[in-house]
Amino acid sequence: MGNVLEVKDLVKRYGKLLVLDRWNLKVSKGERIVLLGPSGCGKTTFLKIIAGLESYDEGELFLNFKNLGFVFQEPRLIPWRTVKKNLLFVSDDEGKIKEVLKMVKLVGFEGHLPSQLSGGMKQRVNLARALLNDPDLLILDEPFSSLDLPVKLKIMDDIVELWKESNFTLLMVTHDVKEAVYMGDRILVLSERPSRIIEEITLSFHGDRMLDERFLKIEAQIIRILSSL
Amino acid sequence: MKTIVGLLLFVLVWEILALLLGSSFILPTPVETFKALIHELAKIETFHAFLSTAWKGFFVLGLVVLLGTLIGLVMGINTVIYEILRPVVMIVQAVPVISWLALVIFLWGIGWKGPVLISFLSLLPISIFTTAAGVRSIDKDLLEIVKVYKIPKRKVFKDIYLGSIVPFVVATIDISIGNVWKVILVSEFLCGDKGLGVLISWARQYVDVPRVYALTIIAVAFGIISERLTKRFVRRLTRKWGMS
Repeated sequence: MGNVLEVKDLVKRYGKLLVLDRWNLKVSKGERIVLLGPSGCGKTTFLKIIAGLESYDEGELFLNFKNLGFVFQEPRLIPWRTVKKNLLFVSDDEGKIKEVLKMVKLVGFEGHLPSQLSGGMKQRVNLARALLNDPDLLILDEPFSSLDLPVKLKIMDDIVELWKESNFTLLMVTHDVKEAVYMGDRILVLSERPSRIIEEITLSFHGDRMLDERFLKIEAQIIRILSSL
Repeated sequence: MKTIVGLLLFVLVWEILALLLGSSFILPTPVETFKALIHELAKIETFHAFLSTAWKGFFVLGLVVLLGTLIGLVMGINTVIYEILRPVVMIVQAVPVISWLALVIFLWGIGWKGPVLISFLSLLPISIFTTAAGVRSIDKDLLEIVKVYKIPKRKVFKDIYLGSIVPFVVATIDISIGNVWKVILVSEFLCGDKGLGVLISWARQYVDVPRVYALTIIAVAFGIISERLTKRFVRRLTRKWGMS
């Protein structure tokens, strides 16, 4: 399996402030990678570099994907456009729009304005928009941070189901250990800024992670690593 | 009810002041003024003057919103154009009405063009700067989406830029509708050939003070009603921007 992205000794600074300190990472096609680290360690910056929204200062970055989907931390919907028009902004393919709305369970809400949707629904539109162009790589930037637990669990389940159906590569950042264990096949634990990848944990077990006791063991292991920082 | 009480209080204070001053050349009583008002409303001349002021006002308002939005949009999108045009617009904004008056009288003499141009130039800078500020404050998060999904410029202009300036165009209308009548009346007073401002000017020349007040009441009533109706209409159109 080819790599969707590869990073060698990547460095990012904001002026004199070192944010990413020599990151090395390879992500294979179809993997579910979660970057787990404290707030302000540069997780979002790394995603923005991959999406071409930020530059980097040193190192090498190899990208090997056709289509990118980006689920932002906030829904970032055009407030004066309906759900459908927000999606038409990204793709003119009405058939595909119907398909993704069905995937994210928003059929019937096409004519609603963002202000008429709940936080969870807005985040689903954000997800739908990211899925519109059949992404090879789906980036999720702390997409659940503003959602309450039941909505969060539902959307996490949905994303995992979509991943099983479409088999895109999933790259998510979070500071929430439970989210990381639930969503990732491979969890990369980051240090505080200037951040480095300090631990890599591979989760080999499948099935319902919430009900599996191995879930708790991995969670405890990660908490130990984070508390020792 | 509170509005009516407020109006009655205003009339009462007016009556007391008029009685204290005791001169209808300075302040006529409400009764004198309302008699003059009824007399004015019965005249076809007043109706024609009212129509003349009204069309000039709405014409100027339309022109200010249209051209101000266009110029403001270009200035907001392009920083170089913004920097070049900003001093020009600031100078136009700072020129006193009286200087424009001298210019338009030399150009066209007395007529409708002078009041229209003076009002237009007085209000245009507000429209330009408001729109430019709107474009320049466009949500950067939305522009990141544009980059990530490589959205065509046509769509970005239509869905983001035009959409973003709507609240600022509404703000321009809000500000301009309140000012346009005042500016039109002043410029009609100074260089117009028709309109309520011209009638006020004539009444002043004949020292017909109750008539000046009566025409002022017509102008104020028209200003308030047109402002309310325009704002209601615009807000209904822009409800989805969450402004109503």
